[in-house]
Amino acid sequence: MLEVLELFDRPAVLHSIYLIGSLILFFIGLYGLLAKRHLLKIFVSIEIMELAVYLILIAIATTPGETAPILSDGLTAFTGMSDPIPQALTLTAIVIGVAVTALGTSMAIQYHRLTGKVSVGEMTELKD
Amino acid sequence: MTLHFTPVWFIAVPLLLAFLAPLWVRWRLLMPVLFSAQVALFALALSWIPAVRIAPILETIVIAPPLGIHLHLDAIALLLVALFSFAGAIITAFIWLDNGAAHLRERPAFILILLLIAGSNGMVLTGDIFNLYVFIEIVGVSAYALAAIRRDKTALEAGLKYLIVGSVAAIFILFAIVLLYLQTGQLNIAALAQAFSNMPAQMQLLIGLLMLIGLGIKAELFPFNFWVPDIYRGSDPEITALYSGVLVKAFLFVLFHLTFILLADPTVARNWLMALGAITMIVAELVALRQNDLRRMLAYSSLGQVGLITLALAFASEATTAGALFHMINHTFIKVLLFLLAALMLRQYASLKLTDVHGLSRTMPLAAGLFVLGALAVLGLPPLSGFISKLWILKGFSDVQTFWPVALILTAALIEAGYYFRWIRAFYAAPTDAASMAKMEGEKVLNYAPLLVIAGVLIVLGVAPFLLEDWLQQAAQALLGREALLNAVLGVQP
Repeated sequence: MLEVLELFDRPAVLHSIYLIGSLILFFIGLYGLLAKRHLLKIFVSIEIMELAVYLILIAIATTPGETAPILSDGLTAFTGMSDPIPQALTLTAIVIGVAVTALGTSMAIQYHRLTGKVSVGEMTELKD
Repeated sequence: MTLHFTPVWFIAVPLLLAFLAPLWVRWRLLMPVLFSAQVALFALALSWIPAVRIAPILETIVIAPPLGIHLHLDAIALLLVALFSFAGAIITAFIWLDNGAAHLRERPAFILILLLIAGSNGMVLTGDIFNLYVFIEIVGVSAYALAAIRRDKTALEAGLKYLIVGSVAAIFILFAIVLLYLQTGQLNIAALAQAFSNMPAQMQLLIGLLMLIGLGIKAELFPFNFWVPDIYRGSDPEITALYSGVLVKAFLFVLFHLTFILLADPTVARNWLMALGAITMIVAELVALRQNDLRRMLAYSSLGQVGLITLALAFASEATTAGALFHMINHTFIKVLLFLLAALMLRQYASLKLTDVHGLSRTMPLAAGLFVLGALAVLGLPPLSGFISKLWILKGFSDVQTFWPVALILTAALIEAGYYFRWIRAFYAAPTDAASMAKMEGEKVLNYAPLLVIAGVLIVLGVAPFLLEDWLQQAAQALLGREALLNAVLGVQP
């Protein structure tokens, strides 16, 4: 039993699990984006796709046993720390994602107030 | 104290001015600041020409490359930055002098336009791929908000559609960047270029495809450009002038910059990108024939020109690249002219449907005349600058005995002639009702001043293309010169 658990702790196995899980998440998001017509559901799908990309970055860039790249709690030297760049990138990307979603949601609310519509299928104002 | 002019100014100045917006509102200086910022950036870009001519300028922030973030100002980046600030100056001057569109002269529009310019400048200057993503998102968010800035039904619909499509594109770009980082541990574009060929072939293909989808959506290439006409139809024409003139050009540059620098041998992607450009051009021109709304027609025409530029850039020979860059400049001027004319016409006529603008030449003779000039420049008739740039492209192809693009480009020009003359005929036809015969109230010549400047530039560049020729050659060399760039950034022979 313990061997099975240790097997899961190996970087290669762990990374594949994360990778498969994130890709499943990505395709769930993609499915939602293509199949759903409700504006908010589309935003949720976009967020899921984004999260999947962040997960891949963070999961693959760190291996078990690494410490956070922060000098505190008695740590004085950077030994065995994880790569800080992916985390900085992910934080930046999350902030950007939040901003875009907030803008989208506020526009969707305003659109709903003006027209009473919530579905992209009903957006026909711009067609000939 | 001396001020050091460095490339970061092209990004920092618009950002700083945007964040100081409350001051300008209080001092009632919003529009003067917006306009003079663009003019100042243009002057700054011009003042750099002699220096860049000798060697590209690198500015490294924090640490030495490849560890720091650096900006790379070479001939092509300088050309595009100058183009963006010139187009920005024309558009803001138009908004300033115009007595319509009040919502474009308020604080939100001021901030968003400056952010858009800052982001576009950043996209062409940056040498760091994650910075590139951040700039793409800055440009994206300001473009989504600008599309919806009128806040009525059509504008919000355009904004929402743009936001959805644009964020999906950004996810694909981010995915490609993440894979690049995981494979190489690098974010510096030059360092990535060195490591790219060592990756497994499937990984290269996957990254290439993800980038192509993301940037293809943003740069309005077929088949990812289904959303464009809706956005162009719904937003204010002044804003679409910015999209067509600045935004698309920045994304096209990023697409080809990455292609040429990441791939050691750009001929790998050549046929694919050329096919993409050719299909974009032909499909867009054919669809444009059937458009009954002026703004949709201009949107499809813009797509057709983007296809032409893609076709010529993808060929990756110096002659076609220089021609394509010249055409990029011309197309920016022409589309800014035509979209601003559409803005003026929209004041007089409630809708810009083909049947509603009959007899426009009676009420707005100057607008109709300038439209004819713009149309002739798109078609590439001498002595307008569109002629020269198309000639360079065709010559570049025929010099190396490649004739199918030549045939396609000429066919596209014929189709273009078809639909532009359809509109011109409507403008000069007899008006359908007497009511629209009245001369437009408050139509000032001042409104036309920025448009006349563009018309003058189109003619000057058409008569004297040698003014830009050197610069364009250098820009083409900079875009194609992978070794020189790697050498300049990393200091090693690739």
